[in-house]
Amino acid sequence: MKDRLFDAVSRSRAGYTELRLRRVWSTSVLVRGRSVDFASSAVEIGGAARCCSPGTGWGLVGFSGTDRLDTQTLQAHELSLAGASRQPVELAPIAVREHDAVMPIPDDPREVPLAEKRQHAESLAALLAASDRRIASSRVLCRDEVVETWLATSEGSWVHELRSEVSAAVLSVAEEGGNVERALGSMRIRGGWRSEPTEIEALVERVTTRAIERLHAPPVRSGRYTVVLDRSAAGALVHRAVTHLARPSLPGADPDVLPLGLRIGPECVTVGDDPTALGLSATAVCDDEGTGGRRTIIIQNGVVVGHLHSRETAAAGKQAPTGHARAGSLRGAPYPRASNSFLAHGQGTLDDLLQGITLGVYMIDALACESAGDQIALRAGSARMIRHGRLAEPVKGVRIMGGLLPVLGRIEAAAEDFAWDADGSRCRDGAAGVVPVTTGAPHVRLIDVAIGEGIS
Amino acid sequence: MIHRLLEAVSGHVAAADALVKRDDTLTLSISPEGQTRVASSRSRVGHLRVLRDGRVGSSSGSGGDAEIPDLVGRAMTSAAAGEEMDLFLPAPAPVPEVSARSHQVAAADATELDGLARTLFDRLRRGNRRVETWAERSVGSVQVGNSRGILVGYTVSMAGVGAVVESIGVGSGPPCRVFTSGAALPTLPELETLVAEVDRRLDPAIVELPARPASRMPVCLAPRAVATFLRPLRAALTGHRAWLGDSPLRGRMGEQVFDPRLSLIDDPLAEGRPASRPIDDEGVVSRRLPLIDRGRVAGFIADLSVGARANTPSTGHGWRTPHAPTRVGMTNVQVLPGPENRVTLLTMMGTGVWIEELEWGAGPNPGSGTIALRTPWAYLVEGGRVRGRLEGVVLSGNVFDALKELGGVGNDATWTGSHCLPSLLLTDISVRCET
Repeated sequence: MKDRLFDAVSRSRAGYTELRLRRVWSTSVLVRGRSVDFASSAVEIGGAARCCSPGTGWGLVGFSGTDRLDTQTLQAHELSLAGASRQPVELAPIAVREHDAVMPIPDDPREVPLAEKRQHAESLAALLAASDRRIASSRVLCRDEVVETWLATSEGSWVHELRSEVSAAVLSVAEEGGNVERALGSMRIRGGWRSEPTEIEALVERVTTRAIERLHAPPVRSGRYTVVLDRSAAGALVHRAVTHLARPSLPGADPDVLPLGLRIGPECVTVGDDPTALGLSATAVCDDEGTGGRRTIIIQNGVVVGHLHSRETAAAGKQAPTGHARAGSLRGAPYPRASNSFLAHGQGTLDDLLQGITLGVYMIDALACESAGDQIALRAGSARMIRHGRLAEPVKGVRIMGGLLPVLGRIEAAAEDFAWDADGSRCRDGAAGVVPVTTGAPHVRLIDVAIGEGIS
Repeated sequence: MIHRLLEAVSGHVAAADALVKRDDTLTLSISPEGQTRVASSRSRVGHLRVLRDGRVGSSSGSGGDAEIPDLVGRAMTSAAAGEEMDLFLPAPAPVPEVSARSHQVAAADATELDGLARTLFDRLRRGNRRVETWAERSVGSVQVGNSRGILVGYTVSMAGVGAVVESIGVGSGPPCRVFTSGAALPTLPELETLVAEVDRRLDPAIVELPARPASRMPVCLAPRAVATFLRPLRAALTGHRAWLGDSPLRGRMGEQVFDPRLSLIDDPLAEGRPASRPIDDEGVVSRRLPLIDRGRVAGFIADLSVGARANTPSTGHGWRTPHAPTRVGMTNVQVLPGPENRVTLLTMMGTGVWIEELEWGAGPNPGSGTIALRTPWAYLVEGGRVRGRLEGVVLSGNVFDALKELGGVGNDATWTGSHCLPSLLLTDISVRCET
């Protein structure tokens, strides 16, 4: 394969040519209630050829299969000339690297028979159905994926990687007296099905408990509260509020970028992104341009100090590439995207954060974190009131809404209990597509935060 | 390839169907700095489904002839672990004609797309705006076959142009996204309509909502906002949820649930729309299907699998997306227009909120219709006139309740992509500021 890719790249007449191929093996089993809805497998192979020349913009050809690779690069070159770009592309220099790290995958999901995966999904569904008589319906989706990537560039970079991951997503619908409530949860783990079986069972239990709790939880009263975010919610906030604005804009995405030197939070706020963190779903040695990933600090003690870059955005900003160029699809172009975003740990425990809060809200998990312009909305998977320094009754409909930077500015303290989150988060961003991401954070406390009115 | 796939499984399975989809998409985008990106994406995907020993199995791949043995092998393995189902494949039937392809679109190259995107870019550009535009054309083909003798193919084309426009400076709103698409290349008047919409949305100054923190007041949703607002309704009419699941409309066929002015139709035979097709991805012939008829629940949509489980025929709404199992989904959605024009709707509102676009955020319980959606583009209306743009407005309430009694239905239903929706005036919904 290496010879085929470099042969195709060498035939291109463009100033810069990059050829990426990817093969994705996947299986999915969906169990609805107690019945298997489907158990299927897919194999997809394809890639993207991308070119630019001095004085031109990008030309990209995405394709299925692996035929006629030289034709794909030639067409990408033609497209780069056809766009009549008024502004040429510049690429920041990177070290040419050869990274060939294809080793047999221990616990390879491709070696587990589909029938066994079906049994596994059915046993999770049975666990869910038996958990409480109020569970009216449910869905369990188990999926695994093995991805092999080849990348060759005209500068001589070569990357060959093989990675596998398994994921589970659970929907639980509870019903009582005509009241219907749903709860969702997901997780994604690098490796295979034997990696963390108890964590998947714990996910089922957590989602069921949450749906049942919601049946009788009153809506939260809107108002301003001291809010404590659990690690998952804090990670989601940091991902959306910081890392999305820590790279130059993408086609169709939010155009705002956090300017370097801006203070956006107190001393306890240090945020970064680390594509080299061990064993996470977004971890990679190199990005999709062949740049080695590096841990990048975006906010140091409350002040913006860095951005996430591709080679193109790094050159435009006169910075070094950070290894964050990620393609959002098999046939898509790489753009600067977050990978493993983190909020650094602080001091003390969750109890320390709760102490002294007379009336507050504890947000558990993030169902969604969305932004539009300079506004952000963070919806909790579940929530509890905090009364006199202790966690109290569950409430529903909890949502933080407010200005993006003002919300970050309300972070008052971070605990020492940092952990990476294993949920199955994916980041969708305009035309740049969807990439898996991981977040990590400790518990954090925010003061005087507007909580939206709950609706039952 | 379809024929060879079906031949390869013949005699080994009780029934089988297969689908091959090809797509060739060319996209050109212009960045605010004037930088051009041109991307071409050519994809091909093959699906095979088999019924063996009463169980259904499926597999998919990149659709090349060389992978037929692999595709067959994986489908057989999948059937051994698959669901037990009495799947009944459709027999050959007359296929309706539907126009879903334009030769002009098929022939459009990067230069033509550059002309469209740059015209829109130049028309939208102002000193205080950051403008990004794109133009896209897509040509594809679909072939469906099954072991009962169906072998049908058709071609489709689609073209679109769109923009993201942001005002720069104090009080500027979120990015304003507009687009238009159809089976033919967008015309200059269509581009001008987008320009007018952007001007209409960006120009009004910011004002405060007079009633805080929450109040019920008339709300008029423009067509783009209606598309988002109706998501819980579309989900409630779809597939497993509607026939067998927790849809609030399940078991209510024929009941007068909504305002008599509300009629919703799914129309795969609409001329030249993105989701137009003569047959679905399972070989079931397409037909226009009323789902809400003058407020009464008139139909739910199903594919073959849901049909088999619910003991009802497929309505021709099966979709096979790349490397995923079949799913049930609508095609082109139409809400029939009413008599009111924009001025009349504004006058009927008196004091209220006009919403151009809603941001889907699911909300507290979208399954039961309970939503809380942010409105990046909302306007205060007083005395029948737009007074200014509102920030931080959230629309909350229950979609099904709000549709029980409408204040009015606009006559402005126009196609945007696969939706043809009029403005809707709602009287039973809450708006509040949350900033």
